Amino acid sequence: MKRVLLISFLVAMISPALSSAGENGIEILNTRCAYCHNLKGPAPQTIRQLWKRDAPDLFYAGNKYRREWLVSWMQKPVRIRPAGVNYLRSINSTPTKLLNPKKGRKYDVLWGEVLKPLRHEPLTKAEAEAVADVLMTYRAHDDLVSGMMLDTNKKVTLDQGEVLIDKVYGCESCHQIEPGYGGYTGSELYTAGSRLQAAFMLSYIKRPKNWDPKIWMPNGHVKPADLQKIVNYLILLSKEDFDASK
Amino acid sequence: MRLSKMIFAVAALMFVASPAVFAEEAYLNYKTYCMQCHGMHGKGDGVNVPAMNILPRDHSDNQYMMTRTNTQIYKAIKFGGPAVNKSVKMPAWGDTFTETELRELVGHIRTLCCEKELIRGVNFK
Repeated sequence: MKRVLLISFLVAMISPALSSAGENGIEILNTRCAYCHNLKGPAPQTIRQLWKRDAPDLFYAGNKYRREWLVSWMQKPVRIRPAGVNYLRSINSTPTKLLNPKKGRKYDVLWGEVLKPLRHEPLTKAEAEAVADVLMTYRAHDDLVSGMMLDTNKKVTLDQGEVLIDKVYGCESCHQIEPGYGGYTGSELYTAGSRLQAAFMLSYIKRPKNWDPKIWMPNGHVKPADLQKIVNYLILLSKEDFDASK
Repeated sequence: MRLSKMIFAVAALMFVASPAVFAEEAYLNYKTYCMQCHGMHGKGDGVNVPAMNILPRDHSDNQYMMTRTNTQIYKAIKFGGPAVNKSVKMPAWGDTFTETELRELVGHIRTLCCEKELIRGVNFK
């Protein structure tokens, strides 16, 4: 009898705590995140809608992110795309002739908010855990990741991966493979392996348009074997300690 | 009489307005997808240039662009640089744009470089 009472007491204590964590996460998302992030979908269908996007879409966060990365990032948010989510807002393309020709720039440059640290409200550990739990249930694109399996036998070294990324598919023109090394308009690749799920990377690289119809990442027509190698490379790359070289 | 005038006016308006709408779409597409490498003004001076070992084409370079046909530009956009013996740094945009958008983009690129020649009636094929 005592045991039954004890169990029912424990259940009564724990279940509201669990449900309140979920409710808390939903409340945080709705009150503090929904203003910038799209939580319900769909992704922008026209260019005009695309340019209105202020922050990454989260309605398929459960298909995209790794939970442990979400929890840690939400506590210490940092910029992932050097030119911001909407790079048109952060590029200075003043014609060179308007500037001093001797001191004038030779190409478009970043300016404005993206040159400052990211302004994103940090969450406490408990809040981040609660929000991550809710985000992991947002799986609008289960269909796109089903059947996407990483073949860990298709291993590459860092050098071989860099050849694929730079020379074969030209990804480095937009993406950075280490801090400050690569283009500005794409998301950084050196954290992709720790940030994203392998199935998402496989599916997204295969055809970005399936996830985001108007996105400016082209379909690279990556060969299936190379696709596996690239994702294995990104996971390997994310284990590098880039602070050590500073 | 009034009706026929009205029909004529609507037809004339459609004739004048449609190219302007197409031009705006092509300009938006250029600004959204091409600008990151080719630059806002098409001068091959996009924000990603410092990261590239092969520089993007300067679309305002009249002398060079005059030597390219519309078909070559179309192929380069749709199938990527290697389709016209150029760099892999120019990706294939065939999956991003529709056929109409591709053709409009070729037209937009011509306005960046060869406007004088277009007015003179040069046929770029």
